[in-house]
Amino acid sequence: MPANKKHLSPAFLHRFSRISAGLVGGYLVTVSFFLALSFLWDKVSVLYTLVFGGFLLWVALLLLAFIAEKGWKVWAIYLLLTLVFSSVVYFCKSTSI
Amino acid sequence: MSNRIYNILFHTHTISGIFISLALYVIFFAGSFSFFRDEINSWERNEPLAEGWMMGEMDFDRVIDSLKANDTLVNRDISFNQYYDEQRLSLNISPPKSVEEKQTKRRRRGTFKYMNTQDLKTYDYKSSYSLGEFLYRLHFFAQLNFYGRSGYLLAGIVAFFFLFAVVTGVLVHWKKIVSNFFMFRPKASIKNLWTDAHTALGILGLPYQFIFALTGVYLIVGTTIMSPAIVKFIYEDNTEKAYDDFGFNPPKYSFSGKTLQSEYAINPFLKETKEKWPQFDIRSVTIYNYGDQNMHVSFSGMADFDRKFASAGIVTYKVSTGEVVSEENPFKAVSYIDGSRAVLKRLHFGDFGGISVKLIYFILGMITCFVIISGVMIWLVARDKKHVSPAKRKFNAWLVWFYLAACLSMYPVTAFSFIMVKLGLQDPSADRVAFIFQVFFWSWLLLTLVFTFIKNNGLTNKWTLVLGAVLGLMVPIANGIVTGNWLWVSLARGYSDIFLIDAFWLVTSISILLIALQIKDKKTVPDKAEKLMPA
Repeated sequence: MPANKKHLSPAFLHRFSRISAGLVGGYLVTVSFFLALSFLWDKVSVLYTLVFGGFLLWVALLLLAFIAEKGWKVWAIYLLLTLVFSSVVYFCKSTSI
Repeated sequence: MSNRIYNILFHTHTISGIFISLALYVIFFAGSFSFFRDEINSWERNEPLAEGWMMGEMDFDRVIDSLKANDTLVNRDISFNQYYDEQRLSLNISPPKSVEEKQTKRRRRGTFKYMNTQDLKTYDYKSSYSLGEFLYRLHFFAQLNFYGRSGYLLAGIVAFFFLFAVVTGVLVHWKKIVSNFFMFRPKASIKNLWTDAHTALGILGLPYQFIFALTGVYLIVGTTIMSPAIVKFIYEDNTEKAYDDFGFNPPKYSFSGKTLQSEYAINPFLKETKEKWPQFDIRSVTIYNYGDQNMHVSFSGMADFDRKFASAGIVTYKVSTGEVVSEENPFKAVSYIDGSRAVLKRLHFGDFGGISVKLIYFILGMITCFVIISGVMIWLVARDKKHVSPAKRKFNAWLVWFYLAACLSMYPVTAFSFIMVKLGLQDPSADRVAFIFQVFFWSWLLLTLVFTFIKNNGLTNKWTLVLGAVLGLMVPIANGIVTGNWLWVSLARGYSDIFLIDAFWLVTSISILLIALQIKDKKTVPDKAEKLMPA
């Protein structure tokens, strides 16, 4: 019953890129997403939700990274999302303070 | 779901599961006992709650007089916290304040101790250490904090991958949730037996396991992992402001430096609070600037769980005038932060229905332990095939001998520790921390090694159960001999917490003994691997 090897990727680099994308990239997306969201809704409530609910989003992103065909694509998408969310944080903060 | 995705999810479930299995078993086993942390402490110290324990019923002015005898309290902050349902509370006394606040060069440390609310005896951390505290801290690996908070971090990583394993497990099993729900084939192949047990109990316990994965990772590492970015990018490193927003900072009442001339006492304020909110569970009392003109006293806590599931309340009085300075009603609408914080804690601690909920939680915890073990067994038997290389099979067999030995011997080791704290820790000058560590960890190591090298999973299973049950039967006997509180005595006196622990060991030991002696010694599957490979 072990999973069918045919569907698993043996290459180290391929594996490493997806795992790192899921763990590191997933974390960056999660945190930047909630930080950006905190400018739309009640700030403290959104930020507190990150402390517990963020793990759910992170786990989902980790899972998606494993399913993905190409590790570098996941990295690209996750970095792009992080960039978008971070720029929201950057611009909203400079206007709000 | 495509075949490819199914196989990937299956593989990630297997790998994440096998990596965390042993640590997760320890967390669930010790954690299940931690539901009864407070009862274990009452039992161990022979300090039943029935004799009274609540801080809200304490005579604060008498307590303060007794503290004054050792220490001058003037110009200090004094806080009493009762986080647990036990006779002892924790007590913090700050260093005395002076008007020139900014001389922080040599900050004097305050005092921390535990105090029994009934006889007002005080203890430091080590002399108040207990088996309940030990098991509670074991369940988040506090004993492994060698480098900073390394133990907490390990527990957090395990909890995170547990959450991952719960989600992938459900996805992998998705199509068969309904059709296989009642499937149990004990007579079929050994792999089917473990698989049916793993999936059936996994699905039954799913809400419970999901709750613990999420609340667990939140409680142990949520702030550590998520808050640095919040503080850095939203608060621009202004930690004070962030703490204020999240309600971590205690309120500040400035120190005037002038002595309060009029007569004052704490008890009238306590009485007023209790009349104001009769079902308010007071967990913390803080006196700010004792003896100063700007002296304040605050009472905080929550509503009893049968009145309101999620709540937080506080009322603060200014002592010189007797007026209420600030209040937050625990019975009215609760804020989002306070509410979610309270819900997450109540769910994790099983603190919403008294002892019956905790017993159900305990059983679900043991079921989760079984799900973990059965997962490891699936992993083993699925790889015990001819096409797998003998070296790998040998490694797998050794790994599972070790895993099972370490996991299953926790039961006799826990029973043994219960006996030993009763028999060996009655001397008040004993080093309680070292004693409990040595009893627990040495016996655990010994049993783990013995059962690993016996190299028979069936024997490990049977004899850990028999040993644990025999030792467990001796727990109520040891307690009866040492304290005189035999089961019937504590029942007659209404010591429900002491009775619970003794009855727990009696009932579980008898039933486990009856079951364990039915287990026939069969040749187990891993032996095949051993035979293939001449040692």
